[in-house]
Amino acid sequence: MENHQPLLKAVDLTVDFGSLRAVNHMNLEVQRGELVGLIGPNGAGKTTAFNALTGLIMPNEGKVFFKGHDVTHMLPHKRCQMGMSRTFQVIRPFVHLTVEDAVRVGAYNRHGERTVKSKVDQVLEMCELGEMRNRVCADLGLATLRRIELARALATEPELLLLDEAGAGLNETELAGFMKLLHRLNEEEHITLLVVEHVMKMVMGVCRRIIVLDSGEVIAEGTPEQISANPRVIEAYLGKRAVL
Amino acid sequence: MTDTLLQSIITGVLMGFVYALIAVGLSIIYGVMNVVNFAHGDFVMLSMYLSYMAGTLLVWDAVATPLITVPLLFLFGFITYYLLIDKTLRQLYVVQLAVTVGLQIFLRSLALIVWKAQPRALQYSIIQGNIEFFGYSILTSRLIAAVVSLIFIAAIAYFLNKTWAGAAIRAASDDLDTASLMGVNYHRTYALTFAIGAALTAIAGGLLMSFQQTDPQGGMRFGVLSWCVMALAGLGSLPGLIAAGVIVGVAEAVAVTFFDPRSRLLAIYMIFILVLWLKPRGLFGRK
Amino acid sequence: MNIAAFLKRNVGWFALLLVAAVLPLPLQKQQYTMVLFMLIVLYAVLATAWNIIGGMAGQLDLAAGAYLGMGAFTTGTLLLRWEVTPWVGMFIGALMAVLLSLLIGYPLFGFKIKEVWYALSSLALCEVLRVIFLMWDEVGGPTEVYLPTVNSPLYSMRFTTATPFYYILLVLLVVALVINFRIRATKLGYQLLALGEDEDAAEVLGIDARAAKLKALVIYAFLCGLVGGVYACFYGYLHPSFFDADISTEVAIFGIVGGMGIIYGPLLATILLVGVRELLRARLGGGLEGLYLVVYAVVLIVVALYQPRGIAPLVSSVLQKLRNALAPGKKEASWR
Ligand SMILES: Nc1ncnc2c1ncn2[C@@H]1O[C@H](COP(=O)(O)OP(=O)(O)OP(=O)(O)O)[C@@H](O)[C@H]1O
Ligand SMILES: [Mg+2]
Repeated sequence: MENHQPLLKAVDLTVDFGSLRAVNHMNLEVQRGELVGLIGPNGAGKTTAFNALTGLIMPNEGKVFFKGHDVTHMLPHKRCQMGMSRTFQVIRPFVHLTVEDAVRVGAYNRHGERTVKSKVDQVLEMCELGEMRNRVCADLGLATLRRIELARALATEPELLLLDEAGAGLNETELAGFMKLLHRLNEEEHITLLVVEHVMKMVMGVCRRIIVLDSGEVIAEGTPEQISANPRVIEAYLGKRAVL
Repeated sequence: MTDTLLQSIITGVLMGFVYALIAVGLSIIYGVMNVVNFAHGDFVMLSMYLSYMAGTLLVWDAVATPLITVPLLFLFGFITYYLLIDKTLRQLYVVQLAVTVGLQIFLRSLALIVWKAQPRALQYSIIQGNIEFFGYSILTSRLIAAVVSLIFIAAIAYFLNKTWAGAAIRAASDDLDTASLMGVNYHRTYALTFAIGAALTAIAGGLLMSFQQTDPQGGMRFGVLSWCVMALAGLGSLPGLIAAGVIVGVAEAVAVTFFDPRSRLLAIYMIFILVLWLKPRGLFGRK
Repeated sequence: MNIAAFLKRNVGWFALLLVAAVLPLPLQKQQYTMVLFMLIVLYAVLATAWNIIGGMAGQLDLAAGAYLGMGAFTTGTLLLRWEVTPWVGMFIGALMAVLLSLLIGYPLFGFKIKEVWYALSSLALCEVLRVIFLMWDEVGGPTEVYLPTVNSPLYSMRFTTATPFYYILLVLLVVALVINFRIRATKLGYQLLALGEDEDAAEVLGIDARAAKLKALVIYAFLCGLVGGVYACFYGYLHPSFFDADISTEVAIFGIVGGMGIIYGPLLATILLVGVRELLRARLGGGLEGLYLVVYAVVLIVVALYQPRGIAPLVSSVLQKLRNALAPGKKEASWR
């Protein structure tokens, strides 16, 4: 029965910071197996929406459903145990741990002492972090730390992964590799992905469905082609990001 | 019964203003610089001893001693900042704790060497006696202490909101990196903040010496008090600090009068724990 | 892992243990030195236990004195009232300390009280208990309550010299170290380290922050409670000052100065700092009261300022260099 429901569903989700409404009655559905992009100009409320979806902040109104269960008031670790994990836009590394140990923290989500090591090895290999497994996170660069954060989240064996600008700051080749990894996760590992990205090329290239957020509201939704032709989206972007 | 209650409430309210003044110092240090100063109570202790010195050597009245102790504490805060605090800004808060606990031990043992263990008090004050107030008698010295404290809290509020240096302090409170990007020399601003925080304890110290004694261990109580007041008030609200100071003062006075003189700290700690549990952001907090 | 390899890998620890075990033999007659060594071991147990909640989980606990006092009063009162041997009493005392830690930890961790605020509320716990026991005349009160010698000195743990206490505490130290190593190598250790670094990040990786921190707190409180039982028997009396805020802060300082989360750090810091302090006291104590503490404070500040990651990393890098010089090419696993 679970399978007929959307994997993730937000109903009327609203988050206020004092008088500022960061997310405004947002409705969103993600089906199992999808690869959805969430875009919007700076300050649109994407990160805040992620925080509410993963339980790091409590929404002021609205509900979040995961696999058909109401998880609105569930703590983040419970959601992770149900199969939801994420990365952070402003990276939050475990700076004094080695790469291997950081990934191991995530791997314990579904593994005991006996199998945890092989899970770590598998994830390190998939994210091409094998050579630096004994390096301490404090010594590594931003791009690598983002990859470690992804690896950490993957090690929890999520069904739904929320990536907050995980591709930011990558160069052309790195970006291509990253897009390939996302495809692989989605198709081979059957992980449903909800990704926030500013790099348009990447969103358009990788996502099959895109949701556009502006001032906390969903203003458009559709395929990459529909989105790039949508006048409201163009206006939202041009209006706010004329500087770029 | 109600008379005694009202009497102790009045005493508590008056003390509360002095507590608020002490807590304002701690609050701007913590709020602006995010520095955890565990030695703040010992700054008060140091101020009280310096007042004692000025009072006995120069034969000054306790309430006049801040004229000397405020510049001294300001200087002390300035030096302490550059010697110690500046180096801990980008460290984990536990390093700040270790350093300021070191400072605490330093000040306490210094006081023990210079002034020995027995409590010290000033002989007399011109502001002796009581004032009758609807049948309740109020120690004049306490009344003056409360009024002066309020005046200085107001002065600090004016300084933070209306002057350029105050604006720099508020800018630096947002974020170290942004502030330095905006051209605020945060070292100097922070040094100023820390020195002001320390200087405020000198005013309180002088006022307290007009009706209290001091001993090397006395800093503990004021440290606890001011953190408690800050927890109650939440960050960034001066009226909140005053209200919180009054609550703490009254709780202390009532506990001492009706329960047991030994329970004064108990009352404060109970409030502290309860507030943290029930209102982690303070009763009047803004953040 | 076979035993020979295990012995070989931990040769340093076994050598240390051997030295610690035979240390009292030549010093039997010098009671002052023996008491000093016992105190160092006592602080070392507390600081090593603190490493679990403070160093690994990053919770700046300042309630060591509270758990110690709880253990002391439970053990002492059991002996006094019901003639229960402290050998059993100390475990009951440790359980009482655990109960207390749950009482305070459950709400504090639930409300996500952290950093200074956690530190202050745990310090508050210590002070609150001190005042309560000061006013509670049946058990505490302002005068010392002396412990009797029931049956035999062994039965009531009332030895006349410090040496037996030294050995008891040494056993506790070994236990505390072994527990640390066990935790560090398993799930709980990884969870605590992650929580200590970044709680939100740890939570979205499936870590139950409250449960993990409570486990750490309980283990720490248990060890402190055990020490408390021995503490009461060593002093031979009970007094509310056992709920000692100074011990609490000192223990945390040893943990921080040693190096957060490094298992042998607190031990190292305790030996060095208590050693320095007592040496200074012996040298300067005759002159001005408190001078040794001034110097001690300066040492503490200098170490904290110039070695903010703790002294343990310094020592391990020196050890590493030594090892490289002796056996080049061999790589050694990190101590953490
Ligand atoms: N903790 C907070 N307190 C107050 N306001 C906040 C907080 N976090 C975010 N905001 C505000 O909420 C709005 C939405 O912010 P959010 O970070 O969710 O946007 P975003 O879409 O992720 O932007 P970006 O593309 O820059 O990452 C912004 O106006 C921001 O200033
Ligand atoms: Mg964002």
